[in-house]
Amino acid sequence: MAKYGFLIDASRCIDCRACLVACSAENNVPMTHTRIWIKETGVTGEFPDLKRYTAPYHCMHCVDPSCVSACTVGALQMNKDGIITYDKDRCIGCRYCMYACPFEVPHFEWDKQLALINKCDLCVNRLEEGQAEPACAATCPTDAIQFGKRDDMLALAHERIKNEPNRYINHVFGEHENGGTSTFYISPVPFEELGFPTTKLTESPAEFNRMTTEKGTPIIAGSVLTGMTGIYLALEHLEKKNPVHHIEELEHSESTHEKE
Amino acid sequence: MTIQIKIKEIKDLRSLPKFTYILAILTALGMSTGLYRLYAGLGATTNLSTVFPWGVWISFDLTMVAFSGAAFTLAALVYIFHQHDLHAAMRPTVLFGLLGYSSVLVILFFDLGRFDRFWHFLVYPNLTSALFEVSWCIAIYTTILIFEFSPVIFERFNNQKALSIIAKITIPFVIAGITLSSMHQSSLGALFVIMKPRVHPLWYSILTPEFFLTSSLFAGISTIIIGSYLSIWMYGKTLPQKVIEKLGILMPWLLGFYFIIKIGELIFTHELNLLFTSGIFSVLYLTEMVIGVIIPLILFSMKKVRTNRQSSVIAATFVAIGVILNRFDISWFTLKPLNGVTYFPSWIEVSLLIGVFSGVLLVYTLLAHFFPVFSETMGVEKKPEEKFSPSQVMEPSIGD
Repeated sequence: MAKYGFLIDASRCIDCRACLVACSAENNVPMTHTRIWIKETGVTGEFPDLKRYTAPYHCMHCVDPSCVSACTVGALQMNKDGIITYDKDRCIGCRYCMYACPFEVPHFEWDKQLALINKCDLCVNRLEEGQAEPACAATCPTDAIQFGKRDDMLALAHERIKNEPNRYINHVFGEHENGGTSTFYISPVPFEELGFPTTKLTESPAEFNRMTTEKGTPIIAGSVLTGMTGIYLALEHLEKKNPVHHIEELEHSESTHEKE
Repeated sequence: MTIQIKIKEIKDLRSLPKFTYILAILTALGMSTGLYRLYAGLGATTNLSTVFPWGVWISFDLTMVAFSGAAFTLAALVYIFHQHDLHAAMRPTVLFGLLGYSSVLVILFFDLGRFDRFWHFLVYPNLTSALFEVSWCIAIYTTILIFEFSPVIFERFNNQKALSIIAKITIPFVIAGITLSSMHQSSLGALFVIMKPRVHPLWYSILTPEFFLTSSLFAGISTIIIGSYLSIWMYGKTLPQKVIEKLGILMPWLLGFYFIIKIGELIFTHELNLLFTSGIFSVLYLTEMVIGVIIPLILFSMKKVRTNRQSSVIAATFVAIGVILNRFDISWFTLKPLNGVTYFPSWIEVSLLIGVFSGVLLVYTLLAHFFPVFSETMGVEKKPEEKFSPSQVMEPSIGD
């Protein structure tokens, strides 16, 4: 099955925040805990030539998600549609995903006694009910958030840049960043200015993680286990062959030495 | 003579060291702020935030696990490498390891957003998660440490049968313990491998697990040397000079190996120039390396230092400071602050830490007081009536 994806166009966003309201209503969370929020450039330029760009920002739904790789209890998973789902009944609130995510997406419920993670799950329940789009995309009045198949969204992003090269910078954010994502951004200004966590890294940090946890650790464990057993058996064998001393004698002589 | 010993014991029971009471008060205070944190939530009681979700608690855990590495390092030397003359340090070190790991588990419990689900890691595995592996290894290894410490308890109650069974099956448990330790010591470093965007390039390395494992070895040895000194004024006990000397000999090799792989990694990834061009980060890195590695490397290379108790302790203290700096650097000081937000712990965070650490010292003191933890240290538990008078058994002279 083809994977889902987003195309978010910063040149179309009018900062109405309807997507935040939709997210809050759909997921039954207060406005302070929405899984989508607004990144912005702030006001730039000289009067009267002022500019301000905004873009809604939520989970990128990475192709090779670091959070899934890091989650202690497997509460974060990738489903068959490429959606990174979150199981709130499993999560222990260790917050490792917040450090693992290169896009700074997972948020924590700091104000609660029993606190969990907040993260966009692409309205997976809504999609399973047969609705066409997640709440944010369905609500967006200017089509700044568009939802569809991942490949279509990527093609659309490149098409828009090609058709209006003066309107956009030539960069699809999310195409290569951290191993690629399912959410693509196009923008009139560089993404640093929008406050995006830009990176030159084209591999997912999950890849480095797997190098250590799937290869490094088993190698360390295996070599230590065999090494220690081998050294023990070898020394034991040698000692049996020519017994030099007993532990008791040694300790005894030492204690007298200490006393002196 | 036996009567004399008994009178002495009863007196001892009544006269716990004065600092025990101070430790008890600190523990109680710390734990009550901990309970308040469980009631009020993390946001209200800590300075943790979205951009700094982990704070001083995690830094403490990393440091404590490194120092608790003393237990597996020594177990390897004694049981695997047959350095039987180091056996005298075994019991005090295993107890420190056991309590060190327990304190880490306690702090982790308070650190979890859903502390009521702390057991979830046992039933919901994610095999690619370094934190999952750390949790499992620490949980099993703490159990093994209880096993390694249990002879002290059985000896107190003179359960010879249990003692002989334990003596027979010790080796497999020791080997399992060393393997699990290598795994979680290195996996604690692996925690930072996935955090590439956050960790400063001077510290970031795919070899962080190996750095952590190596440094836990010399952190462990420095713990034993410093501990042998602290126990003089805390409990009036210490290790034979020969043990300190023998442990000291290992230090230049371990520190040298660590230095080579650390600098080698920087050369290999073309980051050597960062050593002098990263401002405050360069200062932190150089401080860590000079204080924690280069100075003690030179000191421990000198026979004069190794054969002197005081100078060995000073050199080991340099190592310990270096390890503390390293763990705090990578998990706190050098993490990239996002949106300019930095972190400094709240008083509740610090108070819980002080409480838990005092708790470790308190339980250690009590166990050392009522159980034969230090018996082997003196090497007199075999035939005390032959060579020593009771007063010497209880308060041995500490000569250099």
